[in-house]
Amino acid sequence: MSMPSIPSRAEHLEAWRESGGKVCAAFPAQYPKELLWAHGVLPVEVWDPPLAATRAPGHLQPYICSVVRQGLELLLAGAGDSVDLILFPHTCDSLQNLASLVGDYLKPAAPSLFFYNPKAPFKAPAREFYLDQLHALDRQLAGLFGPRAQGALEQALEWSRALAALHAKAYKMRALGELAAGAGEFYAVLRAGEYLHPTALIPLLEGWLAQSAGSASAGERIVLSGVLPGPPDLLESLDVLGLVVGNDDLLSMSRRLLTSPPGTGEPLAALGEVFLHMPPCSTRGSSLEERLAWIKGLAGQSKSKGVVFVEVKFCEPELFDLPELRRGLKEAGLPSLVLEVDVNQAAGGQAATRLEAFREMMA
Amino acid sequence: MSYYAGIDVGSLSSDAVIVDAAGGIKGWAVTETGAHSTNAASAALDKALERAGLRPDQVAYTVATGYGRAAVPQAGKKVTEITCHALGAYTLFPEVGTVVDIGGQDSKVIRLGENGKVVDFVMNDKCAAGTGRFLEVMAAKLGVTLDDLGRLSLGAEGEVAISSVCTVFAESEVVSLVAKNQPIPQIIKGLHRAVVNRVAAMTGTTGVREQVIMSGGVAKNAGVVKLMAERLGVEISVPDEPQIVGALGAALLAAREDAV
Ligand code: SF4
Repeated sequence: MSMPSIPSRAEHLEAWRESGGKVCAAFPAQYPKELLWAHGVLPVEVWDPPLAATRAPGHLQPYICSVVRQGLELLLAGAGDSVDLILFPHTCDSLQNLASLVGDYLKPAAPSLFFYNPKAPFKAPAREFYLDQLHALDRQLAGLFGPRAQGALEQALEWSRALAALHAKAYKMRALGELAAGAGEFYAVLRAGEYLHPTALIPLLEGWLAQSAGSASAGERIVLSGVLPGPPDLLESLDVLGLVVGNDDLLSMSRRLLTSPPGTGEPLAALGEVFLHMPPCSTRGSSLEERLAWIKGLAGQSKSKGVVFVEVKFCEPELFDLPELRRGLKEAGLPSLVLEVDVNQAAGGQAATRLEAFREMMA
Repeated sequence: MSYYAGIDVGSLSSDAVIVDAAGGIKGWAVTETGAHSTNAASAALDKALERAGLRPDQVAYTVATGYGRAAVPQAGKKVTEITCHALGAYTLFPEVGTVVDIGGQDSKVIRLGENGKVVDFVMNDKCAAGTGRFLEVMAAKLGVTLDDLGRLSLGAEGEVAISSVCTVFAESEVVSLVAKNQPIPQIIKGLHRAVVNRVAAMTGTTGVREQVIMSGGVAKNAGVVKLMAERLGVEISVPDEPQIVGALGAALLAAREDAV
């Protein structure tokens, strides 16, 4: 029922470093965090650093999304000199472009690594390609930080399975209306996974789930889709207005957190299966049909009556799919609302009015 | 006999409507919002009551709407302008399928289902382009009153294209067109076209179902209404008092609320 105490990013990083651990600034969205854990590196994700964008806009075109803009702002503020590694997964062209800019011009003290996700993970060659990427990253990490310890990857996969199970439990409880936590609390707790080591995250989630069993608040149930949950005032509006998130299709959340590595087989191959089995996503080249069926399924499981897309302004992969997705949802009797946001900027009263009107429309 | 009030506090005007239990309009008022939403709401309500020949204690229930709805202490309930506009329009025009509302600082398109229920909506309230504010700024630049814009544009022989929808850029475009002695009515028609294109683009997501109603202060501008009808390829109906549609919806909701 109540918000657990979550160590802040700064506290956790300090404690991690004091214990001799290495830190990686990991850009969105999908990357094999298990491999980093196995090499004793803590991935700290860079989605929406809370900085005033003063320098980055001067280096970027005005139509680049705020995730990339804030990420560059963080690097320009010197973050690249205080971590041991920067990892750029190839999530979208904007991030790919940022990775090149950083590598070519910014040249931070920490080495930058690129990780290329296959764009059509359902096709057979994708498995081979992805496995090659994993082996390459494993070698690069070994080159930087020494070979991983015996059994370390197996342990990391264990953590990954435990976390996926806990995330899946939280999603299931929420979908069934059995989680007494509003959107603000739910996402604050789950987003701690963007920087907590699994040894801290697993007990946090276990404790929170144990004390949060209970009835969800009454209200109109929705599926939240888009890139990130937020900004915070928007989550607060959902809670205040009686819009209850029954499920989500967010890039930073359910599109990557619920997939578990198999418990058998060669560890790197098992890790490869995580990415290959993630739910449909705009950044992974999934077809519209798959995405539509997936979102309809999420709504069905959670008895949600509508879909709210919270899209980061200028997010090309997401925005491209949107008109067709909305049309398909409408045909299925699911109204949808699109809110465009900049990370780190309040969504504001206008977004709250749209949400309220959407709730009234569904009532 | 009980009466019900609806108050719509918009960014430029605050409007109030009083209805009786059967939904009949007893009085209404349109006032300027100014700097204080609460005072504006009270002023609009007082004026509407005065016109209806009623005292404040005869109002059984009040619903507030509009961007300033939170600042209306008289209101028992606050409802968004989308729901209120839809109900107001449906009551005035039972066949309505689409409401295009162009207010002072926002515009919206609301799609209604057969039963008058909102099935989709889209709002533009982040930018002055496609709102009454855009026309207000341009009228001031051209030295004509807002009320004259419609009449002047309907008499235009030809039209000057305005390339920018941004209020700031369009303003300087207008200045240079005036300097080139372009006829004012033709410039106004071009400005109307810019507003219409911007708002009509919003129907791309909602679709258009007839009957189409225009509301909001800009619906009083016959030049904009004519261009909108051409652009959407439909006939457009305009209520006698297009500015009170939201307040009417709110008053009707107040009557329903009291009946519960
Ligand atoms: S928000 Fe969209 S465009 Fe921006 S980094 Fe994420 S996927 Fe790429």
